[in-house]
Amino acid sequence: MKILLMGHPNVGKSVFFNRLTGANVTESNYPGTTVDYTKGWMKIEGEDVELIDVPGTFSLDPKDRAEEVAVAMLHESKDVRVISVIDASKIERGLYLAMEILEEGYPLVIALNMRDVAEDKNIVIDAGKLEWILGVPVVSTVAIAGEGIKELVSRIREAKPVDVADITANTASTADAAAGTAGGEV
Amino acid sequence: MKLSPEERWDLIDRISRETVSFGAYRHTLKDAIGELTIKPMTGIPIAIAVMYGFWSVFGSFAGFFTDGFFVRLFDAYWLPWLQEVFPGQGRFLYTIMVDAGGIDSGEFVLSSNCLESFGVLTSGLFVAIGIVLPAILIFYLTLALLEDIGYMPRLAVLIDTMLHKIGLHGYAIVPTILSLGCNVPGVAATRILETKKQRFIMMTLLAIFIPCGAQIGIMQDVVPDLMGWILLYLIIGYFIFGYILNKVIPGMAPEFLIDVPPYRRPMLSNIGKKVFGRVKGFFVVAIPFVMLGCAIVGVLYQFGVIRFLGDLLAPIFVGWFGVPAETAGPLIAAFLRKDLAVAQLSVIEMTKYQMITSVVLVSIYFPCVATFAMMLKEGWKELIGALAVLAVTVFAYGGLIHLIGILLGVA
Repeated sequence: MKILLMGHPNVGKSVFFNRLTGANVTESNYPGTTVDYTKGWMKIEGEDVELIDVPGTFSLDPKDRAEEVAVAMLHESKDVRVISVIDASKIERGLYLAMEILEEGYPLVIALNMRDVAEDKNIVIDAGKLEWILGVPVVSTVAIAGEGIKELVSRIREAKPVDVADITANTASTADAAAGTAGGEV
Repeated sequence: MKLSPEERWDLIDRISRETVSFGAYRHTLKDAIGELTIKPMTGIPIAIAVMYGFWSVFGSFAGFFTDGFFVRLFDAYWLPWLQEVFPGQGRFLYTIMVDAGGIDSGEFVLSSNCLESFGVLTSGLFVAIGIVLPAILIFYLTLALLEDIGYMPRLAVLIDTMLHKIGLHGYAIVPTILSLGCNVPGVAATRILETKKQRFIMMTLLAIFIPCGAQIGIMQDVVPDLMGWILLYLIIGYFIFGYILNKVIPGMAPEFLIDVPPYRRPMLSNIGKKVFGRVKGFFVVAIPFVMLGCAIVGVLYQFGVIRFLGDLLAPIFVGWFGVPAETAGPLIAAFLRKDLAVAQLSVIEMTKYQMITSVVLVSIYFPCVATFAMMLKEGWKELIGALAVLAVTVFAYGGLIHLIGILLGVA
């Protein structure tokens, strides 16, 4: 099994990588710090698993060399799981990439990173509900402070492929439920 | 099942409506600082101040350790001690490893400092540890701070308009600044540029006009009063040749979209790790090359190859570039390490303007072997193209600098 860290540029993939493998890849506060992939090893429940720090990409449709590396990494690896790292203050864009990866049938777990930044901006995300809708594990993290890392690791095994049709159905039912309660209040 | 982009956005819209709640937006101090550093009216003066600060810290820190400590250590203790204990004075091995010495009124004399001795264990170690190490240490420390705070993308936005003139865009400032440390990560960072044209222009300009930290460190030490002129010539060259390349090379230079990240408090542990990693990289890669370069040039001197090349190339060196023929030796060393080449230039007898010209030539001439290897990794066609541009540039720009000197009456 291989695990890929994927997400937009500057969402903290390298920070996760260093935390999870004890390696020393460069972390900076600007997009495009990682332009090549780095491999490392981590332990999940006693098993050695390869973890790959992938350059940031906005979509699976690459627009520069660093993104080409990222997309090739995903398509050429066998038996992969993806940790989709999402900047919690820019969740929609992050979900776009996560959704593309899910549509291609890869098992996924979502790390909603930089929860602190999102809170600063008064953005609150219902991670539980998001998990229910998507059908994959969703973990809130602050990677530079190490928050949520343990939970993320413990839930990698739960990563699974999902059918996008199910996600669509789930949003419809929660929307109905919301409409229902809203209707009840009137 | 695959969705079209519209369907995907539509679905995401519904998901986020269900799961995300936005509170009122507060304008924080962080936001205010963020805006001040990015609006041109305030941002450009701040950028100039930041760069000036960077430069002052670099100069004083490196000077403090090199002049205050290493020069004394190497010239007063290390060199005399080695001259004393190393066997076989005047013999081949002694000349290469310790001191080539000089002839003064017909007699062989030992060198008095580690720049003149040309030995692997004296000049080689002194250049690598005494001069370059403090310089790159402080460079990487300051760079790591700027990186982790999140200043780089703001600099990119500010300089965007200017870099469009040379077919690049603001984000090209990232490879450029990384190259000021070492051209190797700079070349790797060109991958963030979108088109082949941009990557080629960037890679070529980096290899030619951006001096690396090691080189800047040694220039700061051996020719501090000429630094301004040398850097000015390099910056002007960067823009002139960028402008020409942009006109000549077919291809697109698209606009860039960038996320300017919020400012963050840098984490000491991360800065420490980064600086340590980069300095360690220098130790492992650069020091053997400096010493090897020293040895090769020493051997070539001993066998008269440098004198031969100097004589052969004298018409070009003296006539076209207006520099002494002896600069042939340092130019050979420059392929291995540019810092070493500058050190060797500094002890050749010449006028100030010749020194400026020859240091600029060392900078723009062939990239060092590590950069060469990295460029090859990015594509051999690009490398050949870059080398062709480089050959033309060295001749054209070297001649132009000589011409300017003649017109100013200093060459």
